[in-house]
Amino acid sequence: MLSSLFFLLVNAWLVGAAASADYHERLLLRPLPQDTLLASFNFRSNESAAAFEQQNFGYFPRSFGQILQHAHAKELHLRFSVGRWDAENWGQRPWSGGREGGTGVELWAWLEADTEDEAFARWLKLTNALSGLFCASINFIDATKTIRPVMAFAPEGQHSNASRLHLLHGTLPHEVVCTENLTPFLKLLPCKGKAGISSLLSGHKLFDASFQTMAIDVRPTCEEGSATCALEMEQTVDMVLDLARAKRPKDDPIPRPLPIDQLECDTSKPYNAHDSCYPLNKGTQPAWTLEEVFGRPLKGACPLTGQTGDEADNLCINIPPERTVEVKTSGEVSESRLVADTLRCYKLPTGADVDLVLPEQKMATDLVRPKPGVFAARSINGHGQERGSIQAVISNPSTTEAVEIVYLESLPWFMKPYLHTLRARLDTTAESPIKETYYSPAVDRKRGTHLELRLRIPPASTLTLTYDFDKAILRYTEYPPDANRGFDVAPAVIRVLSPQARDHRGIYVRTTSLLLPLPTPDFSMPYNVIILTSTVMALGFGNIFNLLVRRFVAVDEVPITAAGGIKGRVLDKAYRLKALVLGG
Amino acid sequence: MALFTSILALRHDKRILRLPPYLSALCVIIGIGWLLVLPLDEYSRRTYISENAILPGQVHTYFGGSEHNVFRAYRHEVHGLIDKGVAERSERLSAIFHEQNLKVATQHYNYTVSNRTIANENVYAILQGPRADATEAIVLIGAWKNMADEVNNSGVALVLTLARYFKRWSLWSKDIIFLIPGDSTIGPQAWVDAYHDGHDERYVESLKIKSGALQAAVAVDYPAGPWGHRYDKLHVVYDGINGQLPNLDLFNTAVHISSSQMGVGSVIQRMWDHKDTYKDRLQTMLRGMLSQGLGHATGPHSSFIPYHVDAITLVTVGNGYHDEITLGKTLESLFRSLNNLLEHLHQSFFFYLLLQHKRFVSIGTYLPSAMLIAINFSITAMALWVKSGRSPEPIANPASTQPKNPAFKTPAEKQKDAKTAEEEDEKKEKKDAPPRPTTLIEKNGSQSIHPTASTQISERTLLTPLLLLLTAHTIGLLPLYTFNNWHAPALPALYITTANLTTLLPLIISFLLFWNFPTILTPHTLCLLQSFSLLLLGMFLAALATLNFSLSVIVGSVCVPLSFVRRTRHVGLTAAQMLGLALLNPCMVVQMGTKLLGVSLAQVLVQGAVGWHVWGLWTQVVVWLVWFPAWLVGAVVVASGMWE
Repeated sequence: MLSSLFFLLVNAWLVGAAASADYHERLLLRPLPQDTLLASFNFRSNESAAAFEQQNFGYFPRSFGQILQHAHAKELHLRFSVGRWDAENWGQRPWSGGREGGTGVELWAWLEADTEDEAFARWLKLTNALSGLFCASINFIDATKTIRPVMAFAPEGQHSNASRLHLLHGTLPHEVVCTENLTPFLKLLPCKGKAGISSLLSGHKLFDASFQTMAIDVRPTCEEGSATCALEMEQTVDMVLDLARAKRPKDDPIPRPLPIDQLECDTSKPYNAHDSCYPLNKGTQPAWTLEEVFGRPLKGACPLTGQTGDEADNLCINIPPERTVEVKTSGEVSESRLVADTLRCYKLPTGADVDLVLPEQKMATDLVRPKPGVFAARSINGHGQERGSIQAVISNPSTTEAVEIVYLESLPWFMKPYLHTLRARLDTTAESPIKETYYSPAVDRKRGTHLELRLRIPPASTLTLTYDFDKAILRYTEYPPDANRGFDVAPAVIRVLSPQARDHRGIYVRTTSLLLPLPTPDFSMPYNVIILTSTVMALGFGNIFNLLVRRFVAVDEVPITAAGGIKGRVLDKAYRLKALVLGG
Repeated sequence: MALFTSILALRHDKRILRLPPYLSALCVIIGIGWLLVLPLDEYSRRTYISENAILPGQVHTYFGGSEHNVFRAYRHEVHGLIDKGVAERSERLSAIFHEQNLKVATQHYNYTVSNRTIANENVYAILQGPRADATEAIVLIGAWKNMADEVNNSGVALVLTLARYFKRWSLWSKDIIFLIPGDSTIGPQAWVDAYHDGHDERYVESLKIKSGALQAAVAVDYPAGPWGHRYDKLHVVYDGINGQLPNLDLFNTAVHISSSQMGVGSVIQRMWDHKDTYKDRLQTMLRGMLSQGLGHATGPHSSFIPYHVDAITLVTVGNGYHDEITLGKTLESLFRSLNNLLEHLHQSFFFYLLLQHKRFVSIGTYLPSAMLIAINFSITAMALWVKSGRSPEPIANPASTQPKNPAFKTPAEKQKDAKTAEEEDEKKEKKDAPPRPTTLIEKNGSQSIHPTASTQISERTLLTPLLLLLTAHTIGLLPLYTFNNWHAPALPALYITTANLTTLLPLIISFLLFWNFPTILTPHTLCLLQSFSLLLLGMFLAALATLNFSLSVIVGSVCVPLSFVRRTRHVGLTAAQMLGLALLNPCMVVQMGTKLLGVSLAQVLVQGAVGWHVWGLWTQVVVWLVWFPAWLVGAVVVASGMWE
């Protein structure tokens, strides 16, 4: 409980440090149980709205700014995610889930437009442009993958003309996020991964993480009581590194069995001998250094960040006070301890490498690990190619407070849910938890299903939500052309309405995506049929063509050859030779 | 036109009716002969990997070194749990998985079969692939007890060691589930049912944690104790419940990795010493067919196959020089191959008969044999149907070019025939002694004379035979229910009673019907009854052949005499037929089968009940609702001859 409180204070502190400078970046490290480490990178830049309108972008990346202007996007959120957050072991999500996306790519934006059609046209412009910028298949977010959420998302910024804004949301659960998406992401930063905390970001480590999400958020901010507004762009990268895996050297990443003399054995076991070794569970915090874990050194601070006050603390680590941390640098680093000493922040020097060294240590106190407000899991039940059912289990671990959530499902059109089979059961009471439903049914090949439910879960209760669905049969051209394991269903998005979020980001939980195996025809069969038909066609065509172009001549019409015997043959040869030479 | 009329005339040809028994016999002979040629090189093929993505044996395996020390420690740990209770065992296994930073859960199951409680616990752990998105998973199974009821000491230890080893790799594209079921056949069924939410919550606990769609499962059976045992070969077990088979690619991958990469020989169907001769191949195929036909669980993998999860079990056999590290490397390589899968295993065959570990026959080649055996019943059924429509009196053959009655011949023909067929005519005329009644038919001014018998319409009464057939099939429900629900210790006694009762049943039924309702068992009704019964049998078997080829062939083969037995007034012949049928009574066949295979009858019956309640086994349904009614009808038809 105490650690939760600390965490809330940390959050409050981080949010409170809202920037007045134009550019700000911070890396927050938090060791998690099971020898993992959460690294949250946060980069934030501001530009006044007036300057932005005049295309004076400053720290705001030009390429990105122009796309926003072109598509009339007033607020935009883009997510690239891989892996799963293990809430049971790791506790609450980074940023309370407010900077996280479902597996693959997720994009939602508030676009300014007069009509819905215009908004959709601008949405297509936006997706196509972003697709080019981030080397991702965002352009595949078409009408079937786009929904207009009603309750699940609220604008984070302050909008002056809210009535003309349209919220559109699209997901690509199948998209594989990789290095080609990280490179353009880093290029948007003022220091471009050359200095500052972004110098730690490398594709090798980022995409080896157990959980990883990259987010870009653009929102307008207006200071209260003043008419001057600014456009804030926030880029975040959250990753959970497995320390043992991350510490492996780059040139030898193979996890070979340890040499026998390095293996630590539990000598208390009766059978312990030179050939039997029960791996020792030491119960200590593992040793690690920044450079080991990220595979490259931290190249000081980005010179563009603010140099005073909170702003200057670029590197923070959230650990119990007893943990030893040693800073290794040739420059000057100042340490400040905050939030009852559970947060240590460092002001990084410019132009000097910095490394944090944490030795192996036996700890008396637990790690800082706040509990999440809601647990959620979703799975497909049943088997076979015709139908199935979805089961989502959402639980409220709090013993005192009820939670109110919005549950959003965006399903592909070929998955046809039956709303009359929707059941929401609570294990503690018979009362229906559903307070409000928004449902927009699918239209084949035009629109996906959009389901939003407002649910209330009493304290210490588990909600089980189930519904049945049919699997559609696709046309053969609608299957992906390459080998595939089935179709992915986007993760469900859960927004926690109460208890209320302490910042503008909101509290979100996303489930994992689902695999929907559809009845797949034997594609080799049409292939065989095509080959066979082509052969028959070729034979028929060959014969007819032969008949059409060949000139049939009666035997007596053939010149020369009429004469038989040796004389005839000789004449024939001579004739052919003559024809050959003269080209006749 | 002339051809058409002569074909039509052929319908009335007497020879047409004599043909079916020979045709049936020919079908049976070809059908069985077909099976016998399958082991030849010309009719079977060498196995090959069809799915390019698998790339078997292409990776270097690193399992070994200090992992061996860890393995030995785990083996001691597992050995220490043998005498402990289920709860303590689960707790300790969970603790080991937990130390490896895996997500662990247990699942309790408690079935009541034949008034006997089967309760145990499954322990499973999920390794979440670092780059995976929880949509796919592969399963590594080490059942606590193997099929011979020995503790799978080294197998479980190997699963624990591999869990620790696999956890260190980054490359898994799918989750890996390590499952330690309480036993080899019931635990995996409970787990896989609950995984797909197809379980009955009264008996099986729901799973607390799940992963994505299962793509494949591999079970390992290595019952060596704490001091190890060096084995010679790997026995690859692949039969699933109800004779369903895993994709051949999975089997081939396992065989390829073990023999080509690891140098461990692989065997199938308990053919420990396969010399690749015709006899060995045939024996392997027949063992495979028997196992497939019975449809029982042959290992922890069997329960997965009905859910379209391809699965195999690797069992270590013999005394040789391969150790646990080789087995571990085999599994590592196999999992690396499965990890490569881009789509569900679908490329290769799902219907095949294996002749040795690298030779198989595909469905297109072997299916005709079961179909021919099934068709034999249909042919007889049709013949009996035609026969039932004929008048009971014999009719002269109108299509014959040699009319038997010389009165119908022109003088010229008479002279011609007189010389050539004088002797024959004399013989025939003796047989045809009483001249048959004839009828004069007039139409459009033309007249013709026909035997009266051929002009009379003989009506088929369908209701009685259909009702009798329905009754016969309903009777089958009784033993089906009793055998699946009776107390386990009383099952053999029940079986003997049923065997005696069913042997006497045809005599009793026909006697009761003959004395009480003599009008029912007319030859006409019996003919139709037999016809319907055989028709149904043929249809069932043909349909079954596409689902479980082996069961169809086995049932078809023992039912073959049913299409040749007829009701006869000859007492000796009836007795001989009855004796033959008594031997082919399903109960007798099953009993003789158990004697031949050297298994206990009680065990078979208990397994059957377990199969019905736990595995969803359909073999009993085929025995009691297809085979038994067909046999009963055949026997009743024959027995009715006794009472005349």
